[in-house]
Amino acid sequence: MTITLPHGLPHARLRELLVGVLFALLIVTAVTITLLALSPHLPIEHVTIVYLIPVIVAALRWGAIPAMFAGILGIAAPAYFFYAPIYDFRVHSPAQIADIVMFTIVATITGRMAVAVRHAKMRAQAETLRDALIGSVSHELRTPLAGIIGSTSVLAQSPAVAQDKGLSSLVLGVRREAERLNGDIQNLLDATRISSDGIMPNWEWVDPEDVINGALARKRTLIGERPVNLSVADDLPLIYVDASLIESALGQLIENAAKYSPPSVPIAISAAQHGETVHIKVVDKGDGLSFGEAERIFERFYRAPRHAGSVAGSGLGLWIARALVEACGGRIEAFSLGPGEGTTMRIDLPLKIQPASDEEADE
Amino acid sequence: MSEAPTVLIIDDEPQIRRFLRAGFDLERFTVLEEETGEAGLRAATLRQPDLIVLDLNLPDMDGATIVQTIRAWSAVPIIVLSVRASDEDKVRLLEDGADDYVVKPFSIVELLARARAAIRRQARGTKGDPIVKAGPLTIDLSSRAVFVNETRVVLSPKEYRLLQVLAQHTGNVVTHNMLLKEVWGARHLENGHYLRILVRKLRRKIEQDPKRPRILVSELGVGYRLANEADE
Repeated sequence: MTITLPHGLPHARLRELLVGVLFALLIVTAVTITLLALSPHLPIEHVTIVYLIPVIVAALRWGAIPAMFAGILGIAAPAYFFYAPIYDFRVHSPAQIADIVMFTIVATITGRMAVAVRHAKMRAQAETLRDALIGSVSHELRTPLAGIIGSTSVLAQSPAVAQDKGLSSLVLGVRREAERLNGDIQNLLDATRISSDGIMPNWEWVDPEDVINGALARKRTLIGERPVNLSVADDLPLIYVDASLIESALGQLIENAAKYSPPSVPIAISAAQHGETVHIKVVDKGDGLSFGEAERIFERFYRAPRHAGSVAGSGLGLWIARALVEACGGRIEAFSLGPGEGTTMRIDLPLKIQPASDEEADE
Repeated sequence: MSEAPTVLIIDDEPQIRRFLRAGFDLERFTVLEEETGEAGLRAATLRQPDLIVLDLNLPDMDGATIVQTIRAWSAVPIIVLSVRASDEDKVRLLEDGADDYVVKPFSIVELLARARAAIRRQARGTKGDPIVKAGPLTIDLSSRAVFVNETRVVLSPKEYRLLQVLAQHTGNVVTHNMLLKEVWGARHLENGHYLRILVRKLRRKIEQDPKRPRILVSELGVGYRLANEADE
């Protein structure tokens, strides 16, 4: 079994180990004294069971080596104090030998389980710390960014800048970059939140058209002058989802379509019912996907090698989008005929039985 | 507006206040600034501003408390600045009496549009002007008549009621709950889908392209807004 100790100075680690071993000795001694004190009044036949306590405590608190030490003491102490001949490490009775063998097996298994629990706990603590760090750093970054974005919007409105084409485009450039940065930080925050708290959807009946228009409005600056072909089927049923989550996910797909296809090439967005699901598609005529990428692009931090240097991105967007859609009971998939053939991203949302309509609405 | 209106900005972050001041200056507002909720409440009482822009994450007071305190004695328009928090928080503030919100980071254009709409609503309340315009849409609240580009549209009573409530807040968001209560009554707050269906019907009558609405726009998770296109 490999033991991954927390990073730290070897010196500190050695000291922690020593403390663990000492405590293991202490607990075993305490158990032995208690048992010796009780034994005249209380016939305890299988004392070895009691010696599992120090093993588990040591494993949970100090790790594998102190637990092993407690285990060895747990064999030695009963052999010496309780099993005939007393005050001698030899053991004669076959039943007691069986006891010791059983103890060894059970102590090994529970000890290892306890060590695993301890490692999981330590890992969780490290992750909580990391998440807290990301959370506070993100907040510190977002406040100045809100100032920058707001200021560029005032500059763009001021007569001196509005009348100067060069200055206007400069200001717009700053704003777009700041918004992109803000989006990346938001993704980082979302990703941390998803992995630490999970997602709690706020379910409601929503018109899919509103979700699509909301996502488009949110990405308005990014889309700019690029044409968007929208085709939404008539009388699409309502969907029962968290509208904000689906809007975020769809916004991410629109952003990717805009990022990975040449400027001014149209993006097509469509929504239609297929059996018991509603499909929302975002189709671009961009770089497409290479073989096997359709699944990989949803992995956390995955970025296509050919874009790594040319298009900015964190590799988090689609991972988040998938988590958001799945939290609403939907699926998200990517299709492409190959590099250069464009990409189709599709969100499938399950249809629920439509709610009873309001008869009075037609009065 | 005949004379320069006064805006009170309550925000603890200097870089936000700086650009808000510059933005409202461009619109010829008189700008007052406060850093804390307590100082903000005092200024709101003493200076009687025409508009309050309130940041929700103040160090000393909860945003909802400030909104409730102001609403206890004044109908002054309040626009709330929030971070992208949960929709529930925004809805709660709107129901506590805030007129509208913008989510940080925001553009000054967006904030000014919301601010103008809220000030107009306030003015209409005192003057009693029955005509509301939103893009190609005209609503005459006194004769209950609705026109799109001068052509009269016939609405069902519920469609009209919905439009009427939105028209009273033209340019500002009205929450789903407020609309459900006004159109169907307080017993139907759970029936959000009534509203979605009615909005769809109404859009078919008043929007040029009902699938890309420009007038009756949705604020997902929060409510609906009758957009004033001149402001967007």
